[in-house]
Amino acid sequence: MKRGARAALDDLVLARARSGDADALERVFRHFEAPVYTLARRLTRTPHDAEDVLQETFLEVVRSISRFRADGSFAGWIRRVAASKALMRLRARESRPVEDELSDEVADTAPAPPTTLPERLDLEAALARLSDAARAVIWLHDVEGYSHDEIAALMGKTASFSKSQLARAHARLRVLLAPPAEDVCT
Amino acid sequence: MHLSLEELLAVRDNEAGAEAAAHVASCAACAAEVERLRAVRQELAALGEQRPETDLWQAIVSAAAAQRQHRRLAVAGWLVAGLAATFTLAIGIRGGLEAWHEATLARETKQYVAESQRLEERLRTADVGGGVMSGQTAGGIVQLEDRIGVIDAQLARAGSQRYPSKEVLGLWQERVQLLGALVNLQTTRTAYMGL
Repeated sequence: MKRGARAALDDLVLARARSGDADALERVFRHFEAPVYTLARRLTRTPHDAEDVLQETFLEVVRSISRFRADGSFAGWIRRVAASKALMRLRARESRPVEDELSDEVADTAPAPPTTLPERLDLEAALARLSDAARAVIWLHDVEGYSHDEIAALMGKTASFSKSQLARAHARLRVLLAPPAEDVCT
Repeated sequence: MHLSLEELLAVRDNEAGAEAAAHVASCAACAAEVERLRAVRQELAALGEQRPETDLWQAIVSAAAAQRQHRRLAVAGWLVAGLAATFTLAIGIRGGLEAWHEATLARETKQYVAESQRLEERLRTADVGGGVMSGQTAGGIVQLEDRIGVIDAQLARAGSQRYPSKEVLGLWQERVQLLGALVNLQTTRTAYMGL
């Protein structure tokens, strides 16, 4: 997983955490607090939801860490729990896509279409304007490194859905990030 | 004829067939688009990490302890007693419109606390002793219990407030909603088991 590249937790800390040692559990939390919160924030958009996802994730970690098998990726497990909690929250929220003002028929072929937006958005703002599904898929695929099959399993959808949402997300970003059209003086 | 965006992404991710890869090798516009998609991916990955504004570890520890000891009823009872004592004291001390608002908040909060207790009682009496349930149902129950655990931790943190607040009322409202959903899941499970 691309973002799992941070230094691994000491095996001893992990072993102590699995036995329920409070200090070790806190070290696990401190180690993964930022990446889990970032993932949650990217998927859910709001600090409030992201904090809830962070809490729910580590509640599950604390409850289940003793059953975690040492042969798997610990970071991958925690991120998967976090992604699952965040997606669950998105499903519960059933929020309206925030880019409604943009047409669903954005051109799907190269080269990039001209923009009609007045200002160029930065990447962070553009990401926040994607629909929940498109934003979740592009983040999980392009940043977290999940495959389309893995995303499909997490979201309860098909791999085709994941692929189409990824394309849709990039099409939206292409429009949102395009430089503003130059004024024409007559 | 250029490739679709989905095909270009497949080329970028080395998941495309030979035909699409060959097209990109011979089409400057599509090759440039694949490079642009790579650049967007790199920019996304380079966005900075974020951290919560508040330290949530103690809240997690509190919620985990509450879950582990199956003391949710006791926690709720302690909160009820604490809230009632706090509100009574606050309303006794302050007067006028302010006290009326507080009394309203306190009354609404107590209604939700009572509803919360009623639902917990239903859950306790509906407990079928760890029988078989579907993975989906079990997952739903865990999700709801986690949410309730978070709410309980937030209520515990708010317990030190001297006066009733909209925040506490909102937490109790959410707790009642979650417990209601939990009761529905349990009811469905019980019906499914023919009990």
